[in-house]
Amino acid sequence: MIDRARVATRLGARKVTRKFGPVVANDRVDLTVAPGTIHAIVGGNGAGKSTLMRILQGVDSPDEGGVVLDDVPVRLAGPADAFARGIGMVHQEFMLAPNLTLLENLILAREPIGAGGLIDWRAAQAQADRLAALAGVALDWRLKVADAPVHQRQILEILRLLYRGADVLILDEPTAVLAPAQVAELIGLMRRLKSEGRTILFISHKLDEVMNVADAITVMRAGRVVATTIPAQTNKAQLAQWMVGEPVDFRNRAPAPRPHGDPLFSTRRLVARDGRGLRRLGPIDLELFPGEVVGIAGVAGNGQDELVACAAGLGSIVEGALSFAGADFTRATAARFRAAGIGYLSADRAEEGLCLAASVCDNFVAGREQDAAFSRAGLLRRRAINLGAERALEKLSVRYGRLTDAIRSLSGGNQQRVVIARELERRPKLLVAAQPTRGVDIAGIAFIHAQIATFRDSGGAVLLVSEELDEILELSDRIVGLYRGQITGQLLRSEASVEKVGRLMLGQKAA
Amino acid sequence: MGAAILPIFSRAAGVAAPFVLAVAIGAIVLAATGHEPLGVYQLMASEAFGGERRIAATLTAATPLLLTGLAAAVAFRSGIFNVGAEGCFYLGGMVAALLGFALAEWPPILVVPVALAGAAIVGGLWLIGPGILRARLGVDEVVTTLMLNFIAIDLTSWLVNGPLLVRGSANSATAPIAAGAELPRLLPPTTLHLGFVISLALVVLYGFWSRLAVAGFRSRLVGLNARFSRAVGIDVPATFLRMMVLSGLIGGLAGGIHALGLVHRFVAGFSPGYGFTGIAIALLGRNSAIGIFLAAIVFGALSSAGATMQLFSDVPIEIVGIMQGVVMIFAVAKLGFGQARAARA
Repeated sequence: MIDRARVATRLGARKVTRKFGPVVANDRVDLTVAPGTIHAIVGGNGAGKSTLMRILQGVDSPDEGGVVLDDVPVRLAGPADAFARGIGMVHQEFMLAPNLTLLENLILAREPIGAGGLIDWRAAQAQADRLAALAGVALDWRLKVADAPVHQRQILEILRLLYRGADVLILDEPTAVLAPAQVAELIGLMRRLKSEGRTILFISHKLDEVMNVADAITVMRAGRVVATTIPAQTNKAQLAQWMVGEPVDFRNRAPAPRPHGDPLFSTRRLVARDGRGLRRLGPIDLELFPGEVVGIAGVAGNGQDELVACAAGLGSIVEGALSFAGADFTRATAARFRAAGIGYLSADRAEEGLCLAASVCDNFVAGREQDAAFSRAGLLRRRAINLGAERALEKLSVRYGRLTDAIRSLSGGNQQRVVIARELERRPKLLVAAQPTRGVDIAGIAFIHAQIATFRDSGGAVLLVSEELDEILELSDRIVGLYRGQITGQLLRSEASVEKVGRLMLGQKAA
Repeated sequence: MGAAILPIFSRAAGVAAPFVLAVAIGAIVLAATGHEPLGVYQLMASEAFGGERRIAATLTAATPLLLTGLAAAVAFRSGIFNVGAEGCFYLGGMVAALLGFALAEWPPILVVPVALAGAAIVGGLWLIGPGILRARLGVDEVVTTLMLNFIAIDLTSWLVNGPLLVRGSANSATAPIAAGAELPRLLPPTTLHLGFVISLALVVLYGFWSRLAVAGFRSRLVGLNARFSRAVGIDVPATFLRMMVLSGLIGGLAGGIHALGLVHRFVAGFSPGYGFTGIAIALLGRNSAIGIFLAAIVFGALSSAGATMQLFSDVPIEIVGIMQGVVMIFAVAKLGFGQARAARA
């Protein structure tokens, strides 16, 4: 590796300004990432983090200002150029070929070539072992990516950058999809890479992690750098305040009284399979009552996706029964679920929660286009739709340009607010909320939590699935542990703690 | 203002690009074969649009393409890549020709609608199979509809060579339809017929339907994102099936109009690939009503100019085929380009 010990800035930005029409995504942004350090960038949605990362990676170029590498201003021709200079990025959505093995993904497009122009698998395996040893991780290289747990895919993405020779790693919300134990593993990996002399720039919403692992922290808000600091000189509350510009209220809500009467939603010996036909869930018995939030705690891939799908009418039920409001819904279509009063916040906002290619308005009205309020005699009442959308989006303080704008032009938090507006406007009795605040900034999270709590207080039932333990603990009146598709136990909020819920998530008894 | 105009301009440039490239490549071919490109293009333009009769010939040639383009567009925007309009065109043409002959006693005001309805219905029925297979079992509709084309073409060819062959005729053709079943000519002595007006009206109707109708909205959402559509409660399999059948209805109607308006009987080799050209038209026109109209006119102009051009010059008619082929290639290439850009963004 090149001796970069003497440079002050391994990677940086100098007065970077980037405008998109009237929106200033980056406004004279300065960033200095010292070699061999872990540097965190925190900021809400629309703070300009992604734009800055795109510029540092050569995907986009600044209108003014420039990128600095090894103390020298450079003009990046594109991502390949950035990569040639040692800059690699792991995106939030992994860029792996699901049908290939981990080893095949590692060497893809940079295969070691042996005799006769064939791939030298022995050399590939040796390289893979060397990288794994260097990173201090154990991977089953013969596993297909589709079958590998999510944290292994993440590690593979990082090793792939190392394999290709990157020494600056940009990680975009690397812990968003990981369980607590896996987060610890990733942080360990980041520290080892740092001790190897590599430089890490990572984006995060999670202030605990940032305080824990970062050497330096840059806070962005509304396109500007509002603070640059080090963990020893700051704390979570101050970071949060910088991010949102006002003090954030982390107050806890009172739990609902113990519900009684008939359950609104229940499953009996329910067994469901995933998209590939594997039984992932069940048999489980679960009941939800009006006016309560039931949180499902589990490490990703333990059946919560299938439970959510079944509750939203989108699952593949193998055995057992599912009933809602006293009627059998085991074989009901998604349309019947929705008509009966089930709302759904999908964990996959980009593919299922929204239609990214359509407009804000179309995304709001989708699924209700045949309601009498929005159509007559098979024809859309555009004016009524626009009015309804404006009113509902206003209620949720959605920030958008025009109703006809593409929904993809909105920030992640605002996109999620459109989804919530659509689902709550239907006045559901049960809200199935899967990762409701994924990719949403701190202010947005507080707002969405308040919406969910208000919905509960008005008598609605919520099935909450989240990989954020804090979220489960804050919102749930009852917490149900899910492990390998089975319910491992349940806790009332008053008796729950991180440790107890953590045990449920790992298939152990709560106490 | 600038921000509003720029996307429109770049969209227009994107739509025009395949044609510009086709003209450029055609010029190279012409120059290489010893022709003077500019002169040939001038001749083509005057053959396609120089005077009332030439325009009428172009519109006549565009008539079947309006509807096959529409048939393709209705399916494409719902996320179904139906390439079966060609087969529907054959079946619809034959059914309309048979009804036009068999119902000779009926008054024209009845026989034309009945014959056209028969043509449309047979086209719609023809695609129910692929529609159900796609909707319920996820069977790839490209394969099923493509194969059904061959069955339809050979089935009609066998029928007109065997059971339906006119006695005393050496040609593989049905008997001519009754005079009352013919669609009226609009500009005698040109062949422009009422079918053009019907087709144009349907394209306009499609334009409104796709923007204003609940069904148009739903099918667009399904085409953009089927998983999302299912999650918000739209019946995706039913939409697939309905749009497949609607596409078949329009394809069959296209054949019926062609039989009653121009050919006045059904013959083997009834369509020179109108159903397939319709695919290119829908792609070029990006499934929009105005786009379908413009693309159909351009393809109509190319074929009507090509038909007469070789009478007045030694330019081979194949140049028209080459240009049509180039337009189609770049229309599809542009589609891939657009998707690649969307994926990057």
